[in-house]
Amino acid sequence: MPVLRLPKFGKPVKYAYITGRVRAMKTKLIPNEMYARMLNMDIPEIARYLEETQYKEEIDALAKDYSGAELIEHATFANLAKTYRKLLEVSIDEPQFLILEYLRRWDIWNIKTILRGKFYGASDSEIMKYIVPAGELDMEFLEGLAKKDSINDVIAAFEGTDFAEALSKYDGKFLASVENALDKLYYFRMERAVGGTLSVGGGLLLKYVRREIDIRNLITLFRMNKAGIEASIVQENLIPGGKLGEELSRMAGQPYADFVRGLEGYPFWSAISDVATADLDGVSRIEARLKAYLIRYAWSLSNYHPLSILPVLGYIVTKETEVANIRKIVRGKEAGLPNELIEEQMVVA
Amino acid sequence: MAITDAGVMYGLLAVGAGLATGLAGIGAGVGEQGIGAAVVGVVAEEPGFLGKGLFLMLLPETLIIFGLAVSLILMFAWSPFAALL
Repeated sequence: MPVLRLPKFGKPVKYAYITGRVRAMKTKLIPNEMYARMLNMDIPEIARYLEETQYKEEIDALAKDYSGAELIEHATFANLAKTYRKLLEVSIDEPQFLILEYLRRWDIWNIKTILRGKFYGASDSEIMKYIVPAGELDMEFLEGLAKKDSINDVIAAFEGTDFAEALSKYDGKFLASVENALDKLYYFRMERAVGGTLSVGGGLLLKYVRREIDIRNLITLFRMNKAGIEASIVQENLIPGGKLGEELSRMAGQPYADFVRGLEGYPFWSAISDVATADLDGVSRIEARLKAYLIRYAWSLSNYHPLSILPVLGYIVTKETEVANIRKIVRGKEAGLPNELIEEQMVVA
Repeated sequence: MAITDAGVMYGLLAVGAGLATGLAGIGAGVGEQGIGAAVVGVVAEEPGFLGKGLFLMLLPETLIIFGLAVSLILMFAWSPFAALL
């Protein structure tokens, strides 16, 4: 277990460079007003607009192989991976350690993508389109996994690693239990690696991550309670380690109306109070609002701790959301969805 | 021990003057290390920020001027040799 024991004096200085840098990088993100304008553009126009932003390099490089929605999807993912890798490269010591711990979620994402791809029989080039090599597992290793013949071969490749136990949950029929176990593993590993350190920075990371777990659990609760699923099954799908773990676990399986009423008074309630209604399509809107709340939470925490890991986390989640929003717009446009429907899904903090 | 020798007094004065500038310098340095690192970080992304960044970086430097002023006052306000001149 890696344990960081750094002297207290001068520690915030370790964060000065990286926080200064991410705050400058934040100004280059796409402003919220632009999403409304992008909704009124067609796909080539969006690609042209993205060429004026930080995505220029990727769009230019990939324009000869892809076009339209595919081009934007590839370019955004390539840019996301590049940005995250850059954060790791320009940081040292404690910030780098904590950023890597947080970015391990992309390892989970990549493993899930490969498993899903193999499950549905997608080709390796198809799978590689959705890979974001931002975590510890590098492109070569992931490419090797994508080239394997079956899911069992992929699972065998992780023999002896932390992932082995979670992957052994695969029963040959459904991926849900494996994916759930992988998510739990990600948070468990983070708690184990960061919780063991005595650093203030690690404590702040965990503080944010606990809230993130709560929000993810809350989204699970909204979906499952809405569908009227049994309490025990819902509880299995909740990720342990959140700040409100106990309370949220008690809400599992409650009738939807009671569940929503029970949420009043929680800090996130004001973010969803006007959309938490009984109608069916309300859940996707609530999800978007909760994710936006999480971004605002990261940035507001970073106002209290300006020289800490929190501005970096804020940037990481904001960037991820930006890419997700662009992809939602492009995918929605391609499928011919009405603008209102796309707008509902978008996360605008 | 009573300090009666004017030379010793003047020597202590000089030590005080040195501490005034020296400690102010160390303080400014501690302040500047974070600002400097942050400015370099921002300039790496936004080269146009260099001017503003340098200005912010030099702000703690002004504290040394206070230290220097105190040193100068200490050194020149009183001199045991004034009577000899």
